[in-house]
Amino acid sequence: MKDKQQAYFYIAPAVILVCLILIYPIIRTFYMSFTDNDGLNPPNIIGLANYSRLFFDTQYILPIKNTIIWTIFASFFPVTIGFLFAYSIQFLPRSNFFQILIYIPATVSAAAAGVLFGFILDTSGLFNAILTILGFEELTRDWLFQIPENTYSMITAYTWQATGINMMIFLVGLQGLPKEPMEAAKIDGASGFTLIFKIIIPMIMPYFVIASLLALINSFRVFDSIWVMTMGGPARSSETLAVTMYREGFILFDLGYASAVAVMLSLVGIIFSYFYLKLVLTKEDVGN
Amino acid sequence: MKYKTKEKIKTTFGFFGMIIIVICWIYPVFFLLVNANKTSAQYAKGDKTEIIFGNQIFENIVKAWNIGLGDGVLNSLFYGLVGSSIAVFFAFLAAFAIVRLKMNNGLWWFLLIYSGTVFPFQMFLIPLFEAYVVFGIYNTKFGLTLFYVAICIPFATFVLRGFFLTVPWELQEAAKVEGATNFQIIYKIMMPLAKAPLMLVFLIQFTWIWNDLLFGMVLSRSVGVRPVTTALAGMQSLYRQVDAPTILTATLMASIPTLLIFLLLQKHFIRGLTLGSMNAGK
Repeated sequence: MKDKQQAYFYIAPAVILVCLILIYPIIRTFYMSFTDNDGLNPPNIIGLANYSRLFFDTQYILPIKNTIIWTIFASFFPVTIGFLFAYSIQFLPRSNFFQILIYIPATVSAAAAGVLFGFILDTSGLFNAILTILGFEELTRDWLFQIPENTYSMITAYTWQATGINMMIFLVGLQGLPKEPMEAAKIDGASGFTLIFKIIIPMIMPYFVIASLLALINSFRVFDSIWVMTMGGPARSSETLAVTMYREGFILFDLGYASAVAVMLSLVGIIFSYFYLKLVLTKEDVGN
Repeated sequence: MKYKTKEKIKTTFGFFGMIIIVICWIYPVFFLLVNANKTSAQYAKGDKTEIIFGNQIFENIVKAWNIGLGDGVLNSLFYGLVGSSIAVFFAFLAAFAIVRLKMNNGLWWFLLIYSGTVFPFQMFLIPLFEAYVVFGIYNTKFGLTLFYVAICIPFATFVLRGFFLTVPWELQEAAKVEGATNFQIIYKIMMPLAKAPLMLVFLIQFTWIWNDLLFGMVLSRSVGVRPVTTALAGMQSLYRQVDAPTILTATLMASIPTLLIFLLLQKHFIRGLTLGSMNAGK
């Protein structure tokens, strides 16, 4: 048998599994988003009704708003702090040791980090204890139960866990930089900020783009952290669309509506992924 | 000279400043370790920052293991080892076919496989749940393993395709001239060459499976099937029935395997994870 025919046998297991387990559900979810499927009665096609509900029903404004907050802050902070860590430790002695310690939270699963921060942010938790010790007792509160503190608290917990990977990306970028321009600028007396904004950031721009796109791809669809810490509550106040989708689908059994939410998330995801893949795949093919 | 001393002073200040920042940064881990070693009464009444020496943690480990975490750990080990191995093997064959057998429309086939990871996981949940119930594989180890194999294939194919693009063609051609079959080429030439990338992808995918919460929640229900993160999250929602130090101990136990993998892989990790985080992200 010719190589090209044999190839189909080699690729078959992967293609069959991916089609059945991943691609079929994608198509089916897309179809279901146009129906009023509730898991019980025979579904009817209802056109774009689920989508208009998503945009016009006031009940869902909060999840959309929360998703936007998450998308912005849960990508901005991990990328920025990741860069600051990478930039600060690269010239220090024992930078490898710092790198390992800073990266440790990133090795923990989002679920485990969520459980841990559940205890830290609890009314009687570590964070309030520290605030009290430092004399800021009036600032203590129930961080996961008050609005809007709960969303920002969870973004903080998420940032703790998501920063490590960005630091790694920037370390790779910074290590590849030529030293001369930086040394020259330093000798000319360029201060920290000028150095960062005028010289270093422009030089590692590609890494900023990659890190930011990756962070965006991940931040708008965070589920685990939110589910473990608040389940989107209290009273659905900290829900994002990723949580809405799960709640509507698996607790309220509004399968049609849940599918429409999933499709909306996909549209956002595909936009971010398109730019990311374009960068990564072209870079790789040039490399070979 | 003056410039150099100035730099040295700056570095020293930076070094100690960074130590303080890093201590604050990993303080939550310290909190976890300290409080996993307390009794529930000590945790409830005491200062959360207080260190108590003793070996309460062993008692907590036994307690956590027995109230469901143990099953979760064993299940996730199974899913991670079996799911990741099979996925990497299938991906290896697929990448071999695409690159080394020069399939027609190879890029198209690759993108078909890869398209599985472009969509957010929410797109899979409902139809998978439905189909799993219909085919009787909901809440079975087979069902979860099957899903983990499928979800790990796209990224593994992505990395292994990259690997196959770098292998010199002379090797393959020489083997062909001597009459080797494609299977022999895979087994005798490619597998040994690919040891490092295979190991890397295996461990990255093991980590992904170990850390997954969502699909464990959707596709399993009983203690004997659900993975470790789902068991942990379940414990958290039973808070006040299970005491805080036990849950913290469980969190620690659920985090150790992935921490070990990171320490093991460290050097290769950067490249692997920067690629993998797209797949790993949730």
